Order: sequence, then C-alpha cells, then structure tokens
Amino acid sequence: MRHLTKAAVLVGAAAVVLSACGTAADNDDSDDNADGQQCEAVELEGDPQVALAYDVGGRGDQSFNDAAYAGLERAQTEFGFEGTEGEAASDESEEVREQRLRGFADDGYNVIVGVGFAYSESVDKVAPDYPNVSFAVIDGFDPTEDDVNCNVAYLTYAENEGSFLVGVAAAETTESNTVGFVGGVNNPLIQKFEAGFKAGVEEANPDAEVVTTYIEESDPRGFGDPAGGQAAAEGLINDGADVIFHAAGASGIGVFDAVTSADLWAIGVDSDQYLTASPEQQPHILTSMLKRVDVSTYDFIAAAFDGEPLSGYTEFTLADEGVDYSTSGDFLPADLVTEIDDYKQQIIDGDLEVPAEP
Amino acid sequence: MTRTIASPAAVRQVRYLTWIVVLAVLITVSLVRVLTDQNRMTTPGTLRLALIAACPILLAGLGGLWAERAGIVNIGLEGQMLLGTWGAAFFAYHFGAWAGVAGAIAMGALGGLLHGLATVTFGVDHIISGVAINIIGLGAVGYLAQTFFDGYEGGGPRNLSGYAVPREVTIPGISSAARWVSEQRWFLISDVAGAIAGVTTRLSLLTILALLLVAFTAWVLWRTPFGLRLRSCGESPQAAETLGVNVYLYKYIAVVISGGFAGLGGAYLAMVASSSFTTGQTNGRGYIGLASMIFGNWNPTGVLASSLMFGYADGISLLSNNGPLVHAILLLLAVLLLGYAALKFRRGERMTAYVVAGIAVALFAWYLAVDSVPSDFTGMTPYILTLFVLAVAAQRLRMPAADGKPYRKGQAG
Repeated sequence: MRHLTKAAVLVGAAAVVLSACGTAADNDDSDDNADGQQCEAVELEGDPQVALAYDVGGRGDQSFNDAAYAGLERAQTEFGFEGTEGEAASDESEEVREQRLRGFADDGYNVIVGVGFAYSESVDKVAPDYPNVSFAVIDGFDPTEDDVNCNVAYLTYAENEGSFLVGVAAAETTESNTVGFVGGVNNPLIQKFEAGFKAGVEEANPDAEVVTTYIEESDPRGFGDPAGGQAAAEGLINDGADVIFHAAGASGIGVFDAVTSADLWAIGVDSDQYLTASPEQQPHILTSMLKRVDVSTYDFIAAAFDGEPLSGYTEFTLADEGVDYSTSGDFLPADLVTEIDDYKQQIIDGDLEVPAEP
Repeated sequence: MTRTIASPAAVRQVRYLTWIVVLAVLITVSLVRVLTDQNRMTTPGTLRLALIAACPILLAGLGGLWAERAGIVNIGLEGQMLLGTWGAAFFAYHFGAWAGVAGAIAMGALGGLLHGLATVTFGVDHIISGVAINIIGLGAVGYLAQTFFDGYEGGGPRNLSGYAVPREVTIPGISSAARWVSEQRWFLISDVAGAIAGVTTRLSLLTILALLLVAFTAWVLWRTPFGLRLRSCGESPQAAETLGVNVYLYKYIAVVISGGFAGLGGAYLAMVASSSFTTGQTNGRGYIGLASMIFGNWNPTGVLASSLMFGYADGISLLSNNGPLVHAILLLLAVLLLGYAALKFRRGERMTAYVVAGIAVALFAWYLAVDSVPSDFTGMTPYILTLFVLAVAAQRLRMPAADGKPYRKGQAG
C-alpha cells in the first residue's frame, strides 16, 4: 500500500515537473527529496542569521545538545556571526516549539536549527510560512512525505553503525558476559542505537547477553531525568551487567553515577563524554559513541553561508565520519582498537550490514 | 465526627493486629515470589532502588503532612521541591555537600513562606496559591539556572553536575551477610534479608536523615505541646484561638517547615537519586508525595508506608525486562486485595468487601490471561497503583477537620 502511494506521488510529481518544463531538473543530488520531488535552493534574504533551538535536556547536558552547540561555536568563529539559542522545557507542548521557531523567524533569523526529532512536526508546520528561511531538524523526519518543504533539511545519522562499534568494545571488555543498554525514550530513533549495539555485541562475543531498559516509554522527559538514568543503570548492574551503554541524553549522567559507585564501565553517547565527565567518573568511561551533531550542525550553517542551504534528507554515516567512537582515556587496549577499526572498515566497505531495528 | 477514646487494652490490640497484618503481607509477598519464581521482587538491589525512589516522595509527603496538620493545603510542594533542587546544586557547588542540603531546605522554606503569606495573611484560596507556587517555582528555577549555572564548569543554562554530595555508608558485616542470605532464596528469610541488605548497602546519609525525620515528625506533632497546638490549628483554629494559641504564627511555622521538607526532597533528587541538577527534574514527585500523604491518612508512619509502596512501583518500572515481574505483582495485588476484602467482610462492610473482591478477581483474571505485562503498562505502574489504592482506601481516610478552610483572626468571638 505504501509503495502504491509512493508510486502515485512519483507520477504526480513527474507530471508537475513536466508541466513546469523541468525547470528544477538539473539540481544537485543532495537536493533530491525522498519522493523524487526536486527543490531549488532556498533564497535567503540578506546575510544568514543563525538560531539554534535545543531539545529537552538543553545545553550543558554534556551530550547531544552540547554537540550541537559545539557545531554552532565552530561556525561562529569561522563566519563571525552572533546567533541566538532557545532552550526547551521538559514537558512543553507542540505549540511552544512552534512559537519558538516562529519567534526566531519573525526576529529575522533565517537559518534555524531544531535540535532533536521533537522538532520534526513543528518545523513541518512552520516552514511553509517562511519560504525564505532555511530550517534543519537534527534526527528529523518529514511527517508529511507527500508534501515536501523545500526549505527544510533533515540531518540524520547511522547511529546503528556507531553503536555497533561500541558494542564490540563492550563485548570484548565485559567479564560477566552481560552488558547493559539504557535508552531515554523507547522510540524508533533510540531503538536504532540498541539494535546496532546488540549486533556489535553479538558479532564480537556471541556468549554475551544484552539487557535493556528504557527510562520512559514515550515521554521525552526520559532524556532529562538523571535520577531515572541512575535507577535504570543500577537495575542493569543488579542483572549482572558490567558495561553499560546509554542513549539517554542528560539522564546519562545518572548512568555514570551508577557505574562509578559500582566501579564498572559506562559508554557515553553523542559527544566524547570522557572529556566532560567529572574526575571521579572519568576512569569509568570506556569509550563514547560519537554522533557528530557538531559536524552536521556546522555543515548546515556553512552551506547557508556558501549560499546553498541544504534541503531534504542527509545521512551522516561512518564513511563520512558522521558517527564514530572515541578512545579518550586510553582504556581500550591496542588490539581491541585494531579489531574495532577492522569492523569499521567492513561497515564502510559495505561488507557488513548493521540492522537499524532490534 | 466523634472519635471514641481508645483504652490502653484496645490500643495494644490494634498494635498487635498491625503486626499480624505486616507479617501476613510479608508471607504473601514471599509466597508469590517463590510461586512465580520472580526472585527480583525482593533482591537487595531492587529494594535499594525502591528506597531511593521512595525518599523524595516521603519527604514531600511529610512536608504536606506538616502543612495540612495546621490546616493549610500545600499543593505547592512540587514547586518547593524544584526550588530545593536548585538550592542543593548551587550551594553544594560553592560551599560543599551539607551547605547544599541546607540551601535546599532554605529555598524550599522560602517557597513555603510565600505560600504562607498568600494563604494565612492574605487569605488566598490554598489551591490557587499552591498552583501559583508551582508555576513560580518552575519559572524561578529556570531563570536561576540560566543566570548562574551557564558559566560554571560542568554547567549549562539548564544543567549542573560535578558538585559535592553527602557521603554513602555501607554497614560492614551485616550488609554482606544479609546479601548472602538473600541469595539463598529461602522462603521469607531471604526476603527479609533482602530488605536488610538493601538498607545497609551504600546508604546515603541523606536517606538516614529522611528516615529519622519520620520519627522526628511523629514525635514533635504528637508528643510535644507545640505539636498539639499546631494540630489544633488544623482541627479547629477557632477553638485554638480561644485557648490563646497564636493561630497565624503556628500556621506560618507549619507551612515554612513544610516547604523545607519539600526542599530537602528536592536536594535528595539532585544529590542522592542522581548527582546532577537539571531543570524540572522533580517530574511530578511533589504530587505523588501529596498522594502518599493522603493514602498515609495524614500520619507519619502511613506516609512512610505509602511512599515506600510508590517508590517500589517506581523502582521496578525501571528494571530491565520487567514484564514478568510486574505480571507477578498482579498476582500479589490480587491476593492482598482478596485478604483485604475478607477482612472487610468480617467487619460487616459487605459492599466494600464485594467491590474489592471484584477488583481482585479482575486482577487475577488479567494475571491468568497474559504471560507478561507490556512495557507501556509497567511505566504507568506507580500511577495506576496510586489511583487504585486511593479508590480502595478512600473511606478510611480522615483529614484534619479544618484542612484547607479559610481562617481569619477573631472568628471565634
């Protein structure tokens, strides 16, 4: 059924393109949208003015949002602009997000980044009203695929690939043959981390078992609940887990607390969390699954300054260093690093498929 | 609302009955654990999680108790807790762990003072003032965090971590012995040992303080002249006034202490349940605290028992693969409710007995129908349990007679 609709849209889109005498036909590849509709680059009015709208957890979460901020900072030093930021509350409604985005656009900001999938819906609603503003949603998806907004870029990642690598690290490090995973919210995005992690563990150590907890089933506050993170991690430790990977944003600090008290290992996420952890926690952060939100944020802003704002889906993978793993702290022995790099090459070469669903 | 004065013999009998009920519940728990082979039900780890989840609820509940015993409904607990989380982070960051605890209490007490000002001095409706305090608390904490924590190391406009927290202690010998016993999975003995190991392993000093405050509250409110006067303001402020009690003053003291307790609950969240501050991290625990106070029948031990129950539900909702465990708890609830129904039936309260028995049978049917409770439900466990228990226990509850009623000086004349 879905394929049928897609086909219908394709035919429809083709008809539109034909009737418009193919004006947009010779655009760049990256401007292709999923349904074959093609977009022209957004014309920004005046100089790019950048605004960043954070997700639950916000700047200072030492993880996802901080990575976006790092990208903004890098662009700021390079292009020399002021920029502005907006913080999200943990239980805010769709309208509040929309208002935040409209506020930015009305204030003259024309390059707007929504950090986190939660902005997908609100950007989709706001974008048509501001055709000369370039929007991006990190981790985003287009909720209305039949009606593509050409001024929206969806920056996504192959989280499963990066998680696979830290899964290998966990599988080779565990002594109890039990490793844990703490997810912030049980949604398809976070399941992608779990799927990759499990695949990596299984590949490197078939005897090891993965135990999993999600802090919340659907409530986004699962990313801003360090107490929940700590309790979830303690539960996994009780199950025998001695290496715990988290994909839970600011709640992950609680996971670090739990492994630090129990003298075990944790694996960070998004940013290189060894660098931002407290001195007590640092000896317990084995590695981090890097999701280079900073790279994509920077790329998106840079593209706007180059006069060719991004549009449609762009996936950042292992191959283009959009995801990776960190070795800060030097806890991974050299032969393990070699093993992980070997898997990494296999994934880049396409010899190894990493599942995206558990 | 007449209450008969119990004779010492009757009091002894009630105490004796209470112990029998506690023992019966313990045996039931242990039986269900053995029957369903869900040993995680009473492992030290699970019970430790439950205790940590229970303490913020307990402190909020005790806070609510102090205010309501003086006749002030404090819906603002959530906002005062939030102020407490910020106070704990800010003062601990600059001056050390115990300064953080004191700062949290002070911030919460400030919220309590505001509530007192509105309700006692200006006679604002308690619910309206409380809701306002929650909104103010949320906004103030957001603003304060943004203003202060942004430039700190380990901080951001909404977060702070890396400050000192109170120490954890493990009681050597007892902790490991109890842990060993609990691993033997013996009937009853292992369950009790699990609880002992849970409270003797890596116990935060703040947890000890929270438990001591239960006894402290009970002693002050029921064993001192000060407590008697305070409670009289909640039962009949006019009568208290005629006896020369400064009702306004007592209400102020009560609501400030109430806020302080809530603030301490916030400190617990930001220092023990986790070691970091993030805005809005109370996540409705203030309201659950209020529910635990109601279910605890405005009584410190009752608050303790009900917050432990909520904490347990909260704790198991975060265990991995907890479907089968929650499933086993359905059976436990069914059996316990059936026992409760039998008790009611014997006392002649037939209607209640039938309703409760009906619920028990429904739970039992649910237990038989499925193998595992879906994860969407396990997250809701604390809330379902709250609703459920309140529905069953509502008739037995008695709040202070003048709770939430406006009082103006001179009414007694």
